[in-house]
Amino acid sequence: MNKKILTIIILFFSITIYSQNKLPKNHSLTNLTCKTCHTCDVPTKKNPCLVPCPRSEMVTINQSPDQAPEVEVLKELSSRYMPVVFSHKLHAQMSQMSGGCGTCHHYNTVGPIQPCINCHETSRKRADISKPDLEAAYHRQCINCHREWSHSNDCTSCHALKNKNESISIASYVKKMTGKSHPALVEPKKIVYETNYNKGKIVTFFHNEHINLFGAKCIDCHRDENCTKCHDKNKTTNVQQIYSDVPIKIHKSKEEHHKPCFSCHQDDKCSLCHKDKSMAPFNHAISTGWALNRFHENLTCEKCHGSSTKFVKLNNDCNNCHKDFVAGKFDHKVTGLKLSENHKDLDCNECHKEKNFTKTPTCENCHDDKSFPKDKPGTEVNISSKKKK
Amino acid sequence: MEKQNRRSFLKTSALIGAVATGISTKTANAKPKNILSEDRMGVLVDTTVCIGCRNCEWACKVAHNIPTEDRIKYEDRSVFKHMRRPQPNAYTVVNEYPNPKNAVLPTDVKVQCMHCDHPACVSACIVGAISKEENGSVIWDTKKCIGCRYCMVACPFQIPSFDYDKPLNPEIRKCDFCFERTKQGLLPACVKNCPVEALTYGPRNDLIKEARERIKRDPDRYLNHIYGETEAGGTSWLYLANQDFSKLAFPSPGDKPMPGTSESIQHGIFAYFVPPAFLYALLGGIMWITKKRNESK
Repeated sequence: MNKKILTIIILFFSITIYSQNKLPKNHSLTNLTCKTCHTCDVPTKKNPCLVPCPRSEMVTINQSPDQAPEVEVLKELSSRYMPVVFSHKLHAQMSQMSGGCGTCHHYNTVGPIQPCINCHETSRKRADISKPDLEAAYHRQCINCHREWSHSNDCTSCHALKNKNESISIASYVKKMTGKSHPALVEPKKIVYETNYNKGKIVTFFHNEHINLFGAKCIDCHRDENCTKCHDKNKTTNVQQIYSDVPIKIHKSKEEHHKPCFSCHQDDKCSLCHKDKSMAPFNHAISTGWALNRFHENLTCEKCHGSSTKFVKLNNDCNNCHKDFVAGKFDHKVTGLKLSENHKDLDCNECHKEKNFTKTPTCENCHDDKSFPKDKPGTEVNISSKKKK
Repeated sequence: MEKQNRRSFLKTSALIGAVATGISTKTANAKPKNILSEDRMGVLVDTTVCIGCRNCEWACKVAHNIPTEDRIKYEDRSVFKHMRRPQPNAYTVVNEYPNPKNAVLPTDVKVQCMHCDHPACVSACIVGAISKEENGSVIWDTKKCIGCRYCMVACPFQIPSFDYDKPLNPEIRKCDFCFERTKQGLLPACVKNCPVEALTYGPRNDLIKEARERIKRDPDRYLNHIYGETEAGGTSWLYLANQDFSKLAFPSPGDKPMPGTSESIQHGIFAYFVPPAFLYALLGGIMWITKKRNESK
């Protein structure tokens, strides 16, 4: 009997302690202190004593635009106009270069993404004037970008006037918007800047190399991009300017111009970028003395040199990456030369001295009277035709 | 608070008459009988939010039965080429100024009566046609107005405008803070129709708190100045901006209530009837001396 009571007591206490320490199911598991969200020491369900909005310290959005709802029909306020069919995903994609989801879902707390209506009241006449009402919240989010690129306040670019066949036209709008994605971005190849730096006025920025070779992501540099950089009804200069070889005069402060570069180039010398004339594209052969063949030239730098922020220097040894490239196993055909039976099983060192594959192979280890490329240790094969296969 | 009616106007006239004849030694207190309610309402105009859509202009005209063009016409931004002032047929107008922080998003500023806590127009009106209401509105009575235009001169913000078209029924007009609408519990028409809620309606004290909070939260966005908090002794309409208010054509009327200045001059001249009496005595003395001199010749 005593044992039973004791077990019950132990069980009771352990459950109590456990439930005291365990956070509710939907509660944040992020690394936060209680005080970030709660003002009191012991928040309860009835009195969570949350800190007043806006709680800017706890803004977290980990969702990607692809997870975002495709289309939202904003109908809470429609009276004069029809509900607005908002291409949510398309806008989420566009926001990726300027603040991301948090641009509109500002002060979104940990956990699911909140729609505007959860915080912004629908009535303009209200006691709490610290937040704009829903109509204003919507408009404030939309209108500034739209104003910047269209230079007008025309309501009808988002709102259609009320008509009789409302339900039909809403459905057709939704259908039209569904599945739409932002068109592929037009990337510049290179941009030449004319700076005020005395020891090298010209900086050539190879945009294509940073994306295709060095593995930089758009957001690494374009964190706070303005919509009008691409979307502006009044000017088309941006794209054309980007494509020309004529240097662009710098127009921002020194810090602002260096900011995107410094996340990777902070330890580099000024002369890496600042030259007297515009630079040639990156050439692996010139810069490192190792010409890339038709296989290597298609790789991003990261594939061989590790992380994109700090590249590791390699030597000429193929076995750095190709662990299985040993005599007998390497298919020499891919180089354009099929080795003859006699040469097939030789060690690489026999012809490629000290495994230096950039130098001309030698025959003198075995043959006194032969030399490459006059004499070949096999038959040439057409690699371009092989490549097509 | 009591509105000034015909009887109180006569009383005031009698009092002024008594003062003028020097019977009474007490000066007429031309200061409005306004009780500033703690809960008086106001509007906070956030010029960093205003988009210059001019919906407020349209809504104002509709609410006051002023003939207006179709709403779509208000999308025309060419009106911003010239600065505009409120007119008898437009109690509020929006003007546009360059924005030093973003060249493509100009700063738009709505102009209307500021509804001063100590309105100079009320003080200057000789027939008591303008009054300050308890909820903060400064309204006017068309029936009493005689068209003297003293209020136009007195107003530090140059708001009252004169309807010249009716010579026999002259009329001063200005924003009345939608007094008829707010009486019924409705929002002022401009506040109701602002798509971005650049105009926030609420108790003046709450608005000042909210304005301070906005400046604190976003010090890069705002200039640390709430225009109207102290200007001209405080106004019901308050403004936030991202640049100096003088660049947005706001006057600098000082922090003292305007009637204080104008009334002290006005009343000082006639205080206790001493300056006129002194003047008459002086002239009389000169006359007497001249007469005596002539006699002695």
